Amino acid sequence: MAGKINLVLVNWLAAMLVGLMMMWFFGAAPIVSRAAMDGVSSALSYVELPAEELVELFHLTRSWVLERSSLQRRNAELEGENLMLRTALAEAKAPVPAARGDLIGARVTLRYPDQWWRELRIDKGTNDGVNVGAPALADGYMIGRVVRTGETFAWIELVTSSSFMLAAVVDDTWDLGVINGDDIGGIWLMYVPQEREYTKGMSISTALVGDHLPPGIPLGTVVGKGDPRDGYVPQMIASGARLSQIYSVQVLRSVERRTEN
Amino acid sequence: MLIAALVWIIQDMLQVGAMGYMLVPDLFLMIVIYRVLTGEFSQASVSWWIWGAFVGGMIWDLRWAVSPGMSAVVNATVVYVAYLIWSRTPSGGRSPVLFALIAIAGNVISGLAHYLIWAVPSQAALRMFFAQQFFSIPLLIILFIRYVVVLRRGEKSV
Repeated sequence: MAGKINLVLVNWLAAMLVGLMMMWFFGAAPIVSRAAMDGVSSALSYVELPAEELVELFHLTRSWVLERSSLQRRNAELEGENLMLRTALAEAKAPVPAARGDLIGARVTLRYPDQWWRELRIDKGTNDGVNVGAPALADGYMIGRVVRTGETFAWIELVTSSSFMLAAVVDDTWDLGVINGDDIGGIWLMYVPQEREYTKGMSISTALVGDHLPPGIPLGTVVGKGDPRDGYVPQMIASGARLSQIYSVQVLRSVERRTEN
Repeated sequence: MLIAALVWIIQDMLQVGAMGYMLVPDLFLMIVIYRVLTGEFSQASVSWWIWGAFVGGMIWDLRWAVSPGMSAVVNATVVYVAYLIWSRTPSGGRSPVLFALIAIAGNVISGLAHYLIWAVPSQAALRMFFAQQFFSIPLLIILFIRYVVVLRRGEKSV
């Protein structure tokens, strides 16, 4: 009997030892840990496909029921605005810029609880034309940008992450600032002049920063202000997207990549 | 072992559906406990189940958790402790109630470990923990009934 118990005990102790070593190893080598996680997730993606399709169907149905009228209203507004801008461009005899990219829909496949406000992973990657730096949108608002890509997945850093920094503009005043998160769900517009007065509801959008990120993507609206520091007053921003519940996003992919495909 | 693997996949698929809302119950661990306590109770068999639980926990960690290895260690320990309690209980005392208590304790310990690893226990996390335990009840009842049936069949054959 003692021998039997010992065999089980030995196996349990060995499992403990291996487990603790792996915890230490993966903790000490986050790059390896992340690569292993991505590998396992990619392998399981085939098994999980039916469940993901069901979830997608559920969310699509719910969105269709709940958001149809609001999306139609927003679409009408955007179409009107687009027509007005095209008319203005035609009157000014300015050339209409060609589209530089299109939006591709992607499902959120992973969002760790302790990284909830920092990053999430989607099921589209370089095979689909998703590149590092590309903006991700939800409900028509920018919610983050791609920071790492694989062939079939990409990681998006959220606007609520404290490491997220993005040039943004207050649409009503044309003041430039920097969008920065606080890791607990808040979004702040930093480095805008202290003497400026911003009212609630003023819209914030992306400023021209590079090829991957077109200017004018809505980020949110001003909802308050923080404590002054170093000559500026941080402005609290509310995103138009429901950041606590993101099931799918749209990522801007470049035209060049799309034509390659 | 095949059934446990299938249950693991079902648990994974359920977690895909429940992502953002709740943690699904640890169905895999409960099935492993059930198989350990009601199957061939030999040292070799239990050792295999310890490693099976370990591998299942490790893959789960790599898919869903942020500290790979934690579920593997917890699973292996829960299976070992369940075996220890069961092996030291006289045959007459191995009742469905004791079986249910071990299964419930295993599920609670596994859930609690995930809850505590979040480091910043919030109300939302606590709610998720209780939801996970609540949704474990149907499987616990099924396993309990199944064990009672298995036990009665055994008594009749004796």
